[in-house]
Amino acid sequence: MKGYRKYFGKKIVWFILTLFIAFLLNFILPRMMPADPVANIMSKTARGMSDTNATKAMYDNYVKAFGLDKPMIVQFFTYIKNAVRGDFGVSFSQYPRKVTDIISSAILWTIGLQLPAIIVGWLIGNLLGALAAYMKKGFDKILMPISLFMSCVPAFGMAVIMLGIFALKLKVAPIAGGYGFDLIPNFSWTFVRSVIAHYQLPFWSIVIISVGGQAIGMRSMSIYELNADYVKYSRFLGVKDSKIVGYVFRNAMLPQVTGLALSIGTMIGGALVAEIIFSYPGLGTTMLSAVTSSDYPVLSATTLIITIMVLISSFTIDVIYGFIDPRVKAAQFD
Amino acid sequence: MKNTLRQVFHSPKFVAGFIIFVAVLMTLFIYPLFNPGNPLQMLALNSFSKPGTYVSVYDSIDTDSIVMKLPGAAEKRLEDKLSMDDRLAMKEWLVTAGVPEGDIDTTDTTNLLKIWKEKYDPSIKPAGMTIAKRNYYKRLTIDLDKALNSNEVTIATPNAETGALEEAKKINDTDYVNTKDVTNAITLPLGTDNFGRDVLKELVSAARTSIMIGFIAGIIATLIGLSTGLLAGYVGGMVDELILFITNLFTVIPGFIILILISYGIGQENRGATTVAITIGLTSWTWTTRSVRSQVISLRNRDHVNLSKLSGHSLPRIILSDILPYIASYVVMALILQISTAILAEAQLSMLGLGPKTTEVPTLGLMMNWAMVYSAHTHGYWWAYFPVLLIIALVSFSLNLMNTGLDQVFNPTLRD
Amino acid sequence: MGKTILEVKELTTKYITRFGEDVYAVDHVSLSIEEGKSLGIAGESGCGKSTLALSLMGYYFPPLHYTSGDIIVEGQNISKLDPDTIRKNILGTEIAYIPQAAMNALNPTQKIIRFIEDVVHVHEPKMPKKDIYDLARKRFEELGLPASVLQKHAVELSGGMKQRTVIAISTILSPKVLIADEPSSALDVTSQKMVIKMLRNLMDLGYIKSMIFITHELPLLYNVTDDIMVMYAGQIVEKGTAKEMVFNPTHPYSKGLMGSIIVPEEGTRDVKLAAIPGTPPNLKKPPSGCRFAERCKYVTNECKLTTVGLTEFGDGRSYRCIVPIEKLREEYANE
Repeated sequence: MKGYRKYFGKKIVWFILTLFIAFLLNFILPRMMPADPVANIMSKTARGMSDTNATKAMYDNYVKAFGLDKPMIVQFFTYIKNAVRGDFGVSFSQYPRKVTDIISSAILWTIGLQLPAIIVGWLIGNLLGALAAYMKKGFDKILMPISLFMSCVPAFGMAVIMLGIFALKLKVAPIAGGYGFDLIPNFSWTFVRSVIAHYQLPFWSIVIISVGGQAIGMRSMSIYELNADYVKYSRFLGVKDSKIVGYVFRNAMLPQVTGLALSIGTMIGGALVAEIIFSYPGLGTTMLSAVTSSDYPVLSATTLIITIMVLISSFTIDVIYGFIDPRVKAAQFD
Repeated sequence: MKNTLRQVFHSPKFVAGFIIFVAVLMTLFIYPLFNPGNPLQMLALNSFSKPGTYVSVYDSIDTDSIVMKLPGAAEKRLEDKLSMDDRLAMKEWLVTAGVPEGDIDTTDTTNLLKIWKEKYDPSIKPAGMTIAKRNYYKRLTIDLDKALNSNEVTIATPNAETGALEEAKKINDTDYVNTKDVTNAITLPLGTDNFGRDVLKELVSAARTSIMIGFIAGIIATLIGLSTGLLAGYVGGMVDELILFITNLFTVIPGFIILILISYGIGQENRGATTVAITIGLTSWTWTTRSVRSQVISLRNRDHVNLSKLSGHSLPRIILSDILPYIASYVVMALILQISTAILAEAQLSMLGLGPKTTEVPTLGLMMNWAMVYSAHTHGYWWAYFPVLLIIALVSFSLNLMNTGLDQVFNPTLRD
Repeated sequence: MGKTILEVKELTTKYITRFGEDVYAVDHVSLSIEEGKSLGIAGESGCGKSTLALSLMGYYFPPLHYTSGDIIVEGQNISKLDPDTIRKNILGTEIAYIPQAAMNALNPTQKIIRFIEDVVHVHEPKMPKKDIYDLARKRFEELGLPASVLQKHAVELSGGMKQRTVIAISTILSPKVLIADEPSSALDVTSQKMVIKMLRNLMDLGYIKSMIFITHELPLLYNVTDDIMVMYAGQIVEKGTAKEMVFNPTHPYSKGLMGSIIVPEEGTRDVKLAAIPGTPPNLKKPPSGCRFAERCKYVTNECKLTTVGLTEFGDGRSYRCIVPIEKLREEYANE
């Protein structure tokens, strides 16, 4: 038990530290702009606005939200305090809508899409990788190049291709959005069916992309494990091959779990862009519209939320990993 | 060294990847020699014109024509003129006139016309049909007759003095011109994009820029990764702890998000292709640091390194002659991967509208971004985005193939 | 003369490389062990001794392939049995194996007892887990291992403990022959002693009837085994009792081998034998004459031309050399 406590203690400290630094980066990086950020943003945003009162209100709001008259360090803590309270200010492009509203209406779509897609992709990828390693000849020869090519097609590319095939050519799936454009979100059967129909293409395109990379990783891990000494030893004690294969895949799968924790940050970028292709009402699309309309508060809040989501998921994976791999416990006793 | 190279070029995967990559690169440099010009020049005023050869309609009038009697030319013309709506309307009329529904096949143009000629009578007034509808049928029949029988079109030019139209030329339905004889013609193998630019020309230029971005970013990332990895692995202690901490930090905090924040911070006007490349390089070195560090740690206490240390060799010399040669293969592999991820990163960034500024050079990401912004994907203008994807996938596939080949040469357990 | 437990006649096995070449790593090897006896096999790394260990079990998988010869365990010829029969009826119960790298021989993510259950279930599919646990605990305690080890994962055990656990697992079904491939080479001196003591214990308690001990450390063999065979390039070059072999080696290679490692040093495994310059022949294309000829001090023209067989010279001893024994002895005496 002592080993576990030490492991989780370390992980929690690490999590809090990364969270803090994520806040810091999110605060500092956009402020490295050569010119005055507010003037810059305002000149861009306010150009299209005829309502001077709104412009003025927006400017005041911005100055207040960021406490621009105070020193940098104070600004930073105001920023953290606001963020923790869930107050990200007011959107520029959808004034006077609150940023929190915009984000919270998008976040569930993103989580609902990405989380299952990444998990399913991981499972299928590992299964295929293990098969490729075990069957070796033939299967491996065909599967390897295919998964390598698959993993090279960018996430948005897969999304565009699937859209072309299934939505435009075969017309079996809707083209865009998270639900029918003529519907209002509610819990009616029509709405749920529409959501499910719109879910398929974004979901499978994210699944397919993550399969390739995972399969390649799992294949190498499995080949490495298949050559391990314990495989030979178990064989010479008469243990059945199917049982040994079980040992091997369990052991190869475990590092893949940490692999997932590490790669989730890379995968999220591609997956967010895939959302854009389908105009899925998630954070990716929110981010795009924030960029095109120079809506700084929305962009900043979106990046922060995504970072926090990634940190939480990799932290969770690490914690689960500590329970399922005894090697972690042993390492903590050294 | 020579031996290693020979081994590398014996790996079928590496060779396949290498050939694809070099072939792509050669094409990118040779094509502009045959088709020079500014890739950003807007040729068409329409957006998303289909791939194909476009000849000037104006010039083709003056081009010498020959007479050809192609079998079925008139039917083809008719078939093209007669829309599905018209056909269905014809069927509707015929059914009300008492023709059995099974006899009418709307896809068989010749037969449909035959029945129409026999049965259609403008004087019949089917019950419930509006006058507008009846007039439509009359017009349709006249159009059909014209298409079948009239075989001349007159080209007229206004007289400069009187303003009256004067016949300039008569064109028969049997006149043909050779597309090569038409003074102004252009072949657009991949059509045009939303701005009316030649997609192929733009693509070649964009791929070159993107690969350049990949190389700049890859080299920067590899250099940072190599030096931090060497420092952390070889010096150890506090330096190692610090570098490892930063590396882990940037592994969990998504690099893509940092990239977005920096790019947004730089601002649209200041983002050139090079700036974007440098930014990508600065945010993607962590994997190289990790692998170099672990390699160096395993090398640090090898006999030959200890020997060099005891012989009083300087640190740069030990690193150059006793460590670098052993990790060179990993560094090369890391570089190859960095290049391919950087190309992807540029594309993703551009799709968010945070790519290089749009006025100077096209990049693969920008082309993709334009195609998406102008909804090429939902309208089926495949030529505007599919070739871009293909190039990205091909370049990235060839690089990854080379990497896998190298991996198998240097890690024999992965061989099959 | 006790009962013969294991008899091997002219066993030949080969590796088939990636390029389809045959490498005969065990070439017409014969040996026999009686009940209660142990046999040591010595030689440089790459001489085929580890391959011999694997070949003796009659269970082959690529790249190792059976070619010819017989393996007889207590009268039963196992060399022609199909792999599944061998797996179920021979491995673990008749012949058991302790691998060279026992450090990694245990699945790091499995509890020791779970693995023992898997092993026992191969032969006794119906045996309840409770009984297996009792058996394992009794055996572990008899062999001086704490029963708590059973509930641990391999990663939680120290090197010496892992090795002893592997030995206990290998012998859990009381096999007739135990093949130990360098069981103590990677360990420190104390752990080494404990491993040797444990192997002796197993013999004394009757859990194993005979043992084959493979090593490159000759002094160890002198202490542990009754007989010693020396292998070179896939062939046996000399055999005899432990005492005779260590103090009175006959074949020039045995002589060199014994001379080179009288004092065991750390890292001898990596260091080339100082007393015998040169490297063993390439087994893809073995020389037609004596395989040691290239490195032999006493080589004659004839050595490289004729195939050399084993010559017996009383007391169960034999050697593979065409130079008469008296002449060799004379040469050795002059040095």
